[in-house]
Amino acid sequence: MRTRTARASQASRRHLVVCVALIIGLCASLALAGCGTSAKTSKVVKVGYLRNDLHELAYYVASQKGYYKDQGLDVREGGVFNAGPEEMSAFSAGQLDIGFVGTAPVMTFAGQGMADVKIVAQANMGGSSIIVRPGLDAPDVAALKGRTIAIPGNATVQDFLLRMALEKAGVDQSEVRIIVVKPPEMLPALASGQIDAAVAWEPYPTMAVAQGSGRVLETSEKIWPHHPCCMVIADAKFLDENPDVVKRFVAAHVKATQYIQKNQLEAGDMAHLFTGQDTAVARAAIKSIEFGFRPDIKKLEQYATFMSQAGVIKDKNAGAFVRGLVDSSFLPGSP
Amino acid sequence: MKKWKIISPLVAIGLWWLLAGLGLLGKGTPTPLAVVKGFGHLVMTGLPPGYHLQGHLAASLVRVFTGFGIALVVGVPLGILMGYSSALETAVDPLVEVVRPVPPLAWLPLAVIWFGIGLASSAFIIALGAFFPIVLNTVSGVKSVDPRLVEAAQTLGARDRTILARVLVPGAMPSIITGVRIGMGIAWMSLIAAELLGVRNGYGLGYMIMTARDLARNDLLVAGIVVIGFVAFLVDWFIRLLEKRLLRWR
Repeated sequence: MRTRTARASQASRRHLVVCVALIIGLCASLALAGCGTSAKTSKVVKVGYLRNDLHELAYYVASQKGYYKDQGLDVREGGVFNAGPEEMSAFSAGQLDIGFVGTAPVMTFAGQGMADVKIVAQANMGGSSIIVRPGLDAPDVAALKGRTIAIPGNATVQDFLLRMALEKAGVDQSEVRIIVVKPPEMLPALASGQIDAAVAWEPYPTMAVAQGSGRVLETSEKIWPHHPCCMVIADAKFLDENPDVVKRFVAAHVKATQYIQKNQLEAGDMAHLFTGQDTAVARAAIKSIEFGFRPDIKKLEQYATFMSQAGVIKDKNAGAFVRGLVDSSFLPGSP
Repeated sequence: MKKWKIISPLVAIGLWWLLAGLGLLGKGTPTPLAVVKGFGHLVMTGLPPGYHLQGHLAASLVRVFTGFGIALVVGVPLGILMGYSSALETAVDPLVEVVRPVPPLAWLPLAVIWFGIGLASSAFIIALGAFFPIVLNTVSGVKSVDPRLVEAAQTLGARDRTILARVLVPGAMPSIITGVRIGMGIAWMSLIAAELLGVRNGYGLGYMIMTARDLARNDLLVAGIVVIGFVAFLVDWFIRLLEKRLLRWR
């Protein structure tokens, strides 16, 4: 009995030695592997973007065409988000370096002091529309008086667009009913007549038309020409520590944007691959989005003033707020 | 011993205050004081302004009780019948077992197509969530009734209906109430998610929380969370009170 136990303990000791040796070996090889990757010069950049948002196509184009790699950047998906506020929360948590996201969440989070970020480039302009349900007798925005209209969120660019359009048409805000409905749910709500109109970004207006669940009443280009939409932002700390990386990222972004501007058809096909959207819808939707990389400070100020009046951002001086938020120095032609 | 009950919430709040005050909980985590102020904002100003907490709470309660009521009215009788007749149970069980594990939220897009964005679609999602725990607990409650009690009632000449009302239902009641409590918990969870999509009348606690998130107002968001937790707690407390009443015979 005793010998058996002794033998067993000897055996287990031998196992232990083998295990320790294995662990040491594993650690050593991992350490070597670690040295191997750190020896490479390409810099890892964690990028966040929004799922199913055609406005952020330049990110996909730059990745697929190797523009980031050409700049010596190892761009990795830091997070794919359903909505801007979630992406901004990831910036608050310091988990993203660069992000593609809508102007509204950027300004809201920066204005509330909840995220320290800088706008380093524009992703797109325009690209939203007011859509109305099938069969609604509304030849223009003025005919929306007394109707229920959905927006994707309070103080969003779409909210602002609607208020602008109503004001232009001479309809007071108290004469319509504005509610918040998330864009994917807007289409069935329009089709079933639960809401009369909605303001949404692409691809939802094009999808609504394709599915027969609505028609476009007014594009955002008509309401507020070249209005700011999605932005490229950088974490302020990351920007301070890696200005050259941001510069290279922006260079790749500019190249991708120019590619989309010149090759609309191919861009549409890439949009299909990016979002899984039907090719015909993707190609059509791309046409109503204006791709550009230079932020328009005046328009951002206009929007910041609206947000400040709505109490969404604390800074009462919209001009100073925007100038502190935007850093255009990485764009071509800047000093 | 009752005094000890408040210890864990107090410790949690104290810890939260300390960590948030030291800035260890990350940017934008509100302190308990900010949340209390946020609560005041929700009641006085409303979110969005003009839409007060009272209205959000009322709308959510209507949705929860409509959905839960449907689950109760369909679930308990079905559960009793399934517990009583093994043929019915064999026939229905496969369907129940396949649909049950699907989170109610997965049905959301379909619910919007079928019922729109009003009361009906949230009631559908809530009913779906609350239905299964109610049915399954009712079935097991009926099955747990001692068969000798049923036989004894039969020998005494009781009819099926009497056996059901006097023996099976009272015997299954503790289990049914457990199902009701679990179902109510799931009903609340489903409600918040159902409202996150947007609601037609602009009121609802989930909708309110979503608005706070969109506006980066975490003080209001946490105040909303506290309200939801507290109301759900009160509802559960009420059910337990009801349980004591219903099971007085024990």
